[in-house]
Amino acid sequence: MLIDLSENPACIECGLCREVCPVFQIQRQEEYGPRGRAMLGTAGSQTLIFYHCTLCRACRVVCPVGHDPGGEILRTGLISAGIETEANQMMIANIRQYGNPFGPLAEGELPKTLTCC
Amino acid sequence: MESLESLFQPGQVSTRAETKVAYSRDASRIQGSCHGVVWPETVPDVVHLAQWAAETRMDLVPRGAGTGLCGGATPQNSIVIDSSRLRQIGACDIQSKLVVVDAGVPLDQLSRTLRPDGLFFPVIPGSHRSATIGGMIATNAAGLHAIRYGRMSDWVEEVVVVDGEGKVQRLSGGDRKAFAGREGITGMIIQATLRLTEVPKSRSLTLFSFAHLAEMLKQVKELKTNSALSALEYLNPHAAALVGWTAKHSVLAEYHSDEGEIRDPAEMANLWGARESLSARLTQAGFPISEDPQFPPEALEDNLDWLTVQNIPVFGHLGVGILHPRFLLEDARITELYRRVSASGGQISGEHGMGLKKRQWASEALKAEVLALKRQFDPRHIFNRGKLC
Ligand SMILES: Cc1cc2nc3c(=O)[nH]c(=O)nc-3n(C[C@H](O)[C@H](O)[C@H](O)COP(=O)(O)OP(=O)(O)OC[C@H]3O[C@@H](n4cnc5c(N)ncnc54)[C@H](O)[C@@H]3O)c2cc1C
Ligand code: SF4
Ligand code: SF4
Repeated sequence: MLIDLSENPACIECGLCREVCPVFQIQRQEEYGPRGRAMLGTAGSQTLIFYHCTLCRACRVVCPVGHDPGGEILRTGLISAGIETEANQMMIANIRQYGNPFGPLAEGELPKTLTCC
Repeated sequence: MESLESLFQPGQVSTRAETKVAYSRDASRIQGSCHGVVWPETVPDVVHLAQWAAETRMDLVPRGAGTGLCGGATPQNSIVIDSSRLRQIGACDIQSKLVVVDAGVPLDQLSRTLRPDGLFFPVIPGSHRSATIGGMIATNAAGLHAIRYGRMSDWVEEVVVVDGEGKVQRLSGGDRKAFAGREGITGMIIQATLRLTEVPKSRSLTLFSFAHLAEMLKQVKELKTNSALSALEYLNPHAAALVGWTAKHSVLAEYHSDEGEIRDPAEMANLWGARESLSARLTQAGFPISEDPQFPPEALEDNLDWLTVQNIPVFGHLGVGILHPRFLLEDARITELYRRVSASGGQISGEHGMGLKKRQWASEALKAEVLALKRQFDPRHIFNRGKLC
């Protein structure tokens, strides 16, 4: 299913979605939950926290107003502003320099660090 | 602030800008200002924090899920203590129907844990997905089944609280006035022993709708004599129209028996889902201010009539007289509503608490009670300063 984001109802900050968020379940901090992220988005923050979203949309499923967290849009904002995670920066540098995301690899060597966005 | 950070593990304190934004208000959206957040993981963590605050005079704001609707968990240049890492549920004593839970346990998590034992905790606010046991005790939450099961204070056997001097106090149900509905001003609730009840053998629902208020209230009176009744929820015509229902006085009755018209579990879940999304949908429809007056039964007709004539959307727990009229921001009619509540001998806060939002309406009696409690539990005023009154 393609998700239509052209009309995304605003988050009304009720907090009913936080328990389904896998990131909140680990961090247990409001800023890593869907409401916190929405508040940061509204406040115009450009923060690496936006990368801490699995884009699973479990929050949207339970949201009484159907707010979509729009993780891709928030990330696009970060990318345009040149705000990247260290892992991402390393991956890009490795691809440029070695043609793979892992860095220098000897013939037949398996990568020890998985660098990923 | 440095000395605060030295008291805890690095991941337990944050003064980052992002944290401060996310904790700067609760579901009331009353804006506050957060100095930082602490996530205690043990009782000594809370004790150390309370002692630190007593020394530094910093205000501490206990916070559960932040679903509160009157700014009780909104910080005012304060440190927020978030209970979200206090999540243990003890073994359930099936014989005596008791369970010990940490304050940060969300109600739905508790319900899921209890289900295999055939027991449940019956105080169920519309926010049950997230609302924590600590927050529910601190607001003395009522909710969807209050007509049968009452409110939190009826179900709490004991609480463990860290008070304003960093002392750990074990308070029994008899001391409930010190913690239930006190919105965190007497200390941080850490743990509670809750009474449980058996899951009913059957459930069913009927959705009634009425063209006239008097006709509806007559039916409600009759429904209330039914011993199987377990919920009596209301929606006035204006609210019904805003959420796409027929614009009539609607009453959702739940029975712990098969006598309701709807018995299919999926259909019932759908209807409850629609009921539970009302608050959010009315906010979305442009009525963000949620009040929670409780009217005595004899005052319901006159006040429901006034609300409906004023075109104010209303829903609520009609069975216990708790209504949720919804208002636009800065609606002058809220003052008139409170005047009506006082005149009818009702309560300004039926279930949400006073928080920051309603403190100007606190009675002299409440102010005197709060002062006495503060002297006893928090003489240095470190817990939730300026809340309630
Ligand atoms: C959609 C929706 C529906 C709702 N339906 C209902 C309903 O049917 N019935 C009802 O009663 N309420 C309802 N509420 C209001 C709210 O959910 C309740 O007040 C709930 O009990 C708050 O729990 P919480 O964990 O979110 O507490 P919070 O909002 O975090 O805090 C509420 C108050 O309790 C204090 N507090 C929190 N945890 C502790 C602790 N461990 N120790 C001491 N003090 C503490 C805070 O300082 C604050 O004053 C609803 C809210 C929403 C958004
Ligand atoms: S989409 Fe992101 S914010 Fe929503 S539940 Fe999934 S991880 Fe959490
Ligand atoms: S995303 Fe939806 S459920 Fe979550 S806080 Fe916002 S409005 Fe509530």
